[in-house]
Amino acid sequence: MKKLYAAILVASLGLSYACSDYLDVNTNPNAPQTVTANLYLPPMLHWMVTSPQYDGRFVGHYTQEWYNTSTTFATPEQTWARMGYDPASDNGAQQWRDVYWSLGQNLIDMNTKAEAEQRWDLLGVGQILKAWGWQALADLHGEIIVKEAVDQSRTSFDYDTQEYAYGEIRRLLDSAIVLLQRTDGGVSQAYLAKGDKIYTGDRTKWLKLAYGMKALMLNHYSNKASYAPAEVIADVNKSFASNADDLLLTYPNVNPFDDYNFWGRSRNNITTFRQTQFIVGLMDGTQFGVEDPRMRSMLSPAPDGVYRGLDPNVAGFGALATAQQPNNFFGYTATNGLGLPGRYLFDDKAKIPLMTYSQLQFIKSEAALRMGDQATALAAYKEGISSHIDFVNARNLDNNQAAPQITGTAKTAFLATPTVVPATVTLSHIMSQKYIAQWAWGHNEMWMDMRRYHYTDLDPVSGVEIFRGFAPPTNLYGDNGGKLVQRIRPRYNSEYVWNVPGLDAIGGLAPDYHTKPLWITQP
Amino acid sequence: MKTKLVMMLMGFYLVAAQAWAQQAPVTGKVSDEQGTPLPSVSVIIKGTTLGTSTNDAGDYSIRATPGQVLQFRRIGAIPVERTVGAEATMNVQLQRAVTSLNAVVVTALGETAAKRSLGTAQQSVTGTAIAETQRENFVNALQGRIAGVDVTSTSGVPGASSSIVIRGISSISSSNQPLMIIDGLPMDNRTMNTGVLSSDNNSTQAFSNRGIDFTNRASDLNPEDIETLTVLKGPEAAALYGIDAASGAIVITTKRGKAGGGLQYSNSFRLEKTSAKPELQRVFGPSLSITNATGLTSFSYFGAPYDPGTVFYDNVGSFFRTGSAQTHNLSFSGATGDGRINYRLASASDKTLGVVPNTDYSRINLTGASQAQVTSWLNTDVSMAYTYDNNDQVYKGDIGPLIGALVWPQNDNAMNFLTPAGTRRQLTVLSPSLEQDNPYFNIARNRVNAKTNRIMTNVGLTLTPFSWGNLKTNIGADNYTNQNLILRNPDSQVGNAFNGMLELADLITRNINIQTLFNVNSRQLGKNFSISGLLGNAISDYRTNTDALKGQDFLDPNFVSINNTNQRTSKTTLEQRRLIGAFAQAQLDFKDYLYITATGRNDWTSTIPSGANSFFYPGVNSSFIFSDAFPGIRRLMTGKLRAGYAAVGKDARPYAYRPSLQYKTTSSGGYGYDFWGPNLALKPEFKKSFEFGTELGFLNDRFGVDATVYRSTTRDQIVNDIRGSYATGFILFNLNGAATRNTGLELTLRGTPVLRDAFSWDIQANVTRARGKVLSLPHALPESYVSDTWLYGNVRNGTEPGLSTMSLTGLFYRRNKNGELLIDPSNGLPVRSTTFIDAGYDRQPNYTVGLTNTFRRNRLSLDFLLDFRRGGDVFDATQHYLTSHGLATSTLNRNDPLVVPGVLKDGKEDSATPTVNNIVIVPAVQTAYYTNMSEELFIQKNINWVRLRDVQVSYQLPTGFLGTRNASAFVKGTDLFLSTNYRGFDPIVNGNSAAVGGSGGTGIDFGNFPMPKGVNFGFRLGY
Repeated sequence: MKKLYAAILVASLGLSYACSDYLDVNTNPNAPQTVTANLYLPPMLHWMVTSPQYDGRFVGHYTQEWYNTSTTFATPEQTWARMGYDPASDNGAQQWRDVYWSLGQNLIDMNTKAEAEQRWDLLGVGQILKAWGWQALADLHGEIIVKEAVDQSRTSFDYDTQEYAYGEIRRLLDSAIVLLQRTDGGVSQAYLAKGDKIYTGDRTKWLKLAYGMKALMLNHYSNKASYAPAEVIADVNKSFASNADDLLLTYPNVNPFDDYNFWGRSRNNITTFRQTQFIVGLMDGTQFGVEDPRMRSMLSPAPDGVYRGLDPNVAGFGALATAQQPNNFFGYTATNGLGLPGRYLFDDKAKIPLMTYSQLQFIKSEAALRMGDQATALAAYKEGISSHIDFVNARNLDNNQAAPQITGTAKTAFLATPTVVPATVTLSHIMSQKYIAQWAWGHNEMWMDMRRYHYTDLDPVSGVEIFRGFAPPTNLYGDNGGKLVQRIRPRYNSEYVWNVPGLDAIGGLAPDYHTKPLWITQP
Repeated sequence: MKTKLVMMLMGFYLVAAQAWAQQAPVTGKVSDEQGTPLPSVSVIIKGTTLGTSTNDAGDYSIRATPGQVLQFRRIGAIPVERTVGAEATMNVQLQRAVTSLNAVVVTALGETAAKRSLGTAQQSVTGTAIAETQRENFVNALQGRIAGVDVTSTSGVPGASSSIVIRGISSISSSNQPLMIIDGLPMDNRTMNTGVLSSDNNSTQAFSNRGIDFTNRASDLNPEDIETLTVLKGPEAAALYGIDAASGAIVITTKRGKAGGGLQYSNSFRLEKTSAKPELQRVFGPSLSITNATGLTSFSYFGAPYDPGTVFYDNVGSFFRTGSAQTHNLSFSGATGDGRINYRLASASDKTLGVVPNTDYSRINLTGASQAQVTSWLNTDVSMAYTYDNNDQVYKGDIGPLIGALVWPQNDNAMNFLTPAGTRRQLTVLSPSLEQDNPYFNIARNRVNAKTNRIMTNVGLTLTPFSWGNLKTNIGADNYTNQNLILRNPDSQVGNAFNGMLELADLITRNINIQTLFNVNSRQLGKNFSISGLLGNAISDYRTNTDALKGQDFLDPNFVSINNTNQRTSKTTLEQRRLIGAFAQAQLDFKDYLYITATGRNDWTSTIPSGANSFFYPGVNSSFIFSDAFPGIRRLMTGKLRAGYAAVGKDARPYAYRPSLQYKTTSSGGYGYDFWGPNLALKPEFKKSFEFGTELGFLNDRFGVDATVYRSTTRDQIVNDIRGSYATGFILFNLNGAATRNTGLELTLRGTPVLRDAFSWDIQANVTRARGKVLSLPHALPESYVSDTWLYGNVRNGTEPGLSTMSLTGLFYRRNKNGELLIDPSNGLPVRSTTFIDAGYDRQPNYTVGLTNTFRRNRLSLDFLLDFRRGGDVFDATQHYLTSHGLATSTLNRNDPLVVPGVLKDGKEDSATPTVNNIVIVPAVQTAYYTNMSEELFIQKNINWVRLRDVQVSYQLPTGFLGTRNASAFVKGTDLFLSTNYRGFDPIVNGNSAAVGGSGGTGIDFGNFPMPKGVNFGFRLGY
């Protein structure tokens, strides 16, 4: 009898084991649940550079980089040209998506693995990514979710102040700077290069980027008493040394159209966009006396050969005759240009920067000027323009675009023009030229610059506008109550639907929340 | 070894033959009270599982020993028992009984039982009735024939998917479709989800189950092979089938061979016409470009009036063709003289050409089934069914030819769709990907094709080693390969942005099911009680593998091959799920008038984290024949009360609880998390359901009532793809925590008002009322919706706690507290909500009625099914589209100044004295009046209909006609008549396909082809 019980016991154990074994078929065979740390990197790097461009369709309307030619003001982008927003829409919140999701848990997993494997270089890049995320979101949205972020057990999330986010950015960049100087443990250029097609695993370049990002962040404090321009300059000096250090993302054009340049004709994102009067005015001599040699390599003429821009207060092309309507950014009339060479950044294969040497020189120049170091300010200002001219030439060679190269002669002549490079540089020079150097890619920083100077501040020395010729739209969006835009509302389909209590606590439900000034731009 | 085996087998048969030697053949004819021969009457030797059934001429033949009792049972008839005597012929008459409690019915697990013992609601339809509807997809035959069943066909093109829902929508995001059971084992009835396509990974290319449809796989079954179909309506009846039957079960028995069955041939020829007759305005011409006065900027019609004398073309009417179909069925069945072995071989071919050119569906069915009584204690049953079908569909919705035909300028002949160079003829200055395809171009150059090869086998063994029980095992394999080809021509609207796209997706499904039952026959316990029961176990292993390949950038624009594309992306999707179930049932019977049945089942599933993946659920039901308990009542009526309770669990879809990484196609590849976040605490959901019902019969069962009320509550419901804040790190979650409650009423009234020798009239009404309500959502999230249903404008199948499970949410108009529209003071137009809100829309009808009438007079019979519906909202997105494009006739008064009734949104809107709007607008000038109109105005409330689903006249031809033993001819009309207050084409629509979960896109009508009107004629010949 005992034997029988034993047999039954063994049999039932065997069966139950077989049963749990039999049912163990729920590991997803279509996708892994974890991969080596460096394989998380490529999509995050892609989005770090590309995501700001997605939102640039809308932020670029706030900053008057471009204007949608739709003939009705109902078109989303035109709502933004009026400094409004699209209700019930995720427009302008791509970076929200990418920081919390494309980076999100991926970044945590990568950093955890990198730390465990002592891959300090990869962990340093991870900290940079994290810092970038908070920087982008804090500057776009103001209050954001930092402390409670990436927690799947939560159903509502409290917002943290922008001040807290800035503290985090600083902490993360300082941490990255320490990590990227380490050569011990599992630091390996070959390993990092597998996921890093930007700097091919060169940690020293990432280190420079960390300093550059810190300089950019510290420079945002310009309206605050705690502003420390010397620190900004010191960080710029440890950052990019030339255009060769620029962080540029290559678009391989293998998977239509995810890895195509967002501004390329194939992606069809800005085919109906045209340049504004503001950018044309900065480059055609209206503001700086002479035509900028970069204009013909960056902007598009109308069929009659003249460079014109559109007025965001007028629908469509306004009164312009067909031959006077600016071509699209690819250099063709109407929606043409598919399959043909583009111009500047507007090409399927043009590389898009996250940060450039030129941009940092303008940051250095601004900081120097504010601490009264005219010589440093002037030198950095000139270096900023000069290196951006080289940048424009280089970008137009990324895929042998249609736009002409700027000759050395033209460059020298331009830099020798006193209205452009005066003996005494002013804020108006620096910020307006910085705008040109960031045009069509540096939307986040450009908008931060404009908000720091309240869009229309005047140069304290010359009395001209800091952003020369900039005019806010006269037909402001209804909910603005006459105020200019200061922030983008958090992502609709994340927050306005699913995190209303969190939003309510920061006043995010007010119809004019987008006009509430940021902490960083206030004294 | 071989010889030994043969010897053994021989011996086996000899022994068996010995046992049969004392038996003599008994033959006879079974007919009804009018003398009509009754086919499919089972003739069983009482106390055994030995038996046969009657052929189409009502004849049977069986070997039996004198003294044995033969039981004659037929679904829907009162069984008769006869003792075998000396005579070799035994003719039997069965009494048709519309409600008889003694009638035999099929119950769960393919068992049969007397209706009196059932404590749960179920209803049957005969295979003949289903086959006679002439629907190629038998699911479409069920609407109106069974109370509580709602069938929605996605569209009127051949091969369109149909969804079937019993007792309303209870699951917000998962399938609400019942389990399909064929001969005891599950049959796969999925509709391919576009999620397996390679293009679905890219939002600019994804179909998201909208512009495209695939057949629901149950349509592979040949309707002619169905013997009976029984719907087990709730978990109470279907509990033994386990978690897949939480939404009910459809139990189908297929035909088996009969002695003297002979050769049967039938055919049907069909002609069909569309009922889509849109009204388009022909006064105002197209809007012209501001900058290019001759160029059309879009297919909008807010331009100058057409010149007098403009020639108009009916681009919609001329687009359709007369559809046709032909079906041929040939079957041969028979049995050995001793009835020990029977067989049935059948083949069918079906070819349908739809009313939309280039839509067609053809199917070939080959089936074979054989049963053998090997010994007195061993029965075998084998069936195999092979199906091949080939289906061409066209796109639907905004990329489909219907919208294309509607918006194509009426002063241009759409038939003229090519340029002299043979490329797409465009009329606007828009890029090819922004202009609607010409409908003729669309169907000529784009393609949606699916070919399916399917084999279903079912091998069954029944052992009867003891007189008190038997052991029945079925093993089945349901395998199919479904090859899909989806072409987006390089010139077309959908393909231009990619310079053409070709997708191939091969879906290979292999489902294996094993089920074993141990039946304990009824045993007497004392004088008044008897008990019976069963124990069982089921194992299923479902596996689907899809290999999808996408090629884009065509070299030669017209050569359709993946080899002709420059860029190719592939994707494989493997989905596997295993389930083990163990179950038991016991039935206690007191004096044949009180029955109590208890059931229990435990399931172990692979899709729930181990630890939570084993779950037990009980059920109990009772039947009380009060007219037998109190015989005094019997003079007036027969009556039964029944009550049932059951709980049933439900698991998640595979891979739902652990997040996984996805290969990213952004620059330089790499991995990143997919949209879904983790939920390691995922547990099964539970549905608890109560039902109470009664069955009453009057006037010798000539009239009957069957009524059921039910109430079921689903707790911990798993909501798939529910959103949360992105701050979670993910976008979607699969969470427990929703609760829904379903209540409803099912009422079946049957009667035979006239029953004479030459004339009879049967009538049956099936009344359904089903309500579903969302009680709560996971984590108190405000709204849940299935994103695929957000297919037109800003309306989707969103639901919120307190709303119907079939509600709609949208960016509806904002109103003040008195319900008056808020008007924007700056332009005089209504203000739309900026968030998705509820405005009281519910697509659930108040009730539906299916009314069947059958008249027989001598050889002639007439039957028809009328389908009534009252209430329920339908979103006519097509009409919104036409209005916003200036095509609807309602836009003709566009030059008349008007004031939108409402109050200004000036801050005083909610005060006691709101400012009444007096801003005059002229729609022709402010076209935003039309273009920005809320979709809300096109959600038509309380849609009713009366439709003649089927009408048939058939004539029994004289015996000997063309040398036949029996022959008949028929004429059949389907969907011939529709009367409705719906202003669109046809309110039976689904904006998605049957693949979409929850309430899906039912009642969202956008660019959908309505069911065509058809007439069939054909004949049946039996030799």
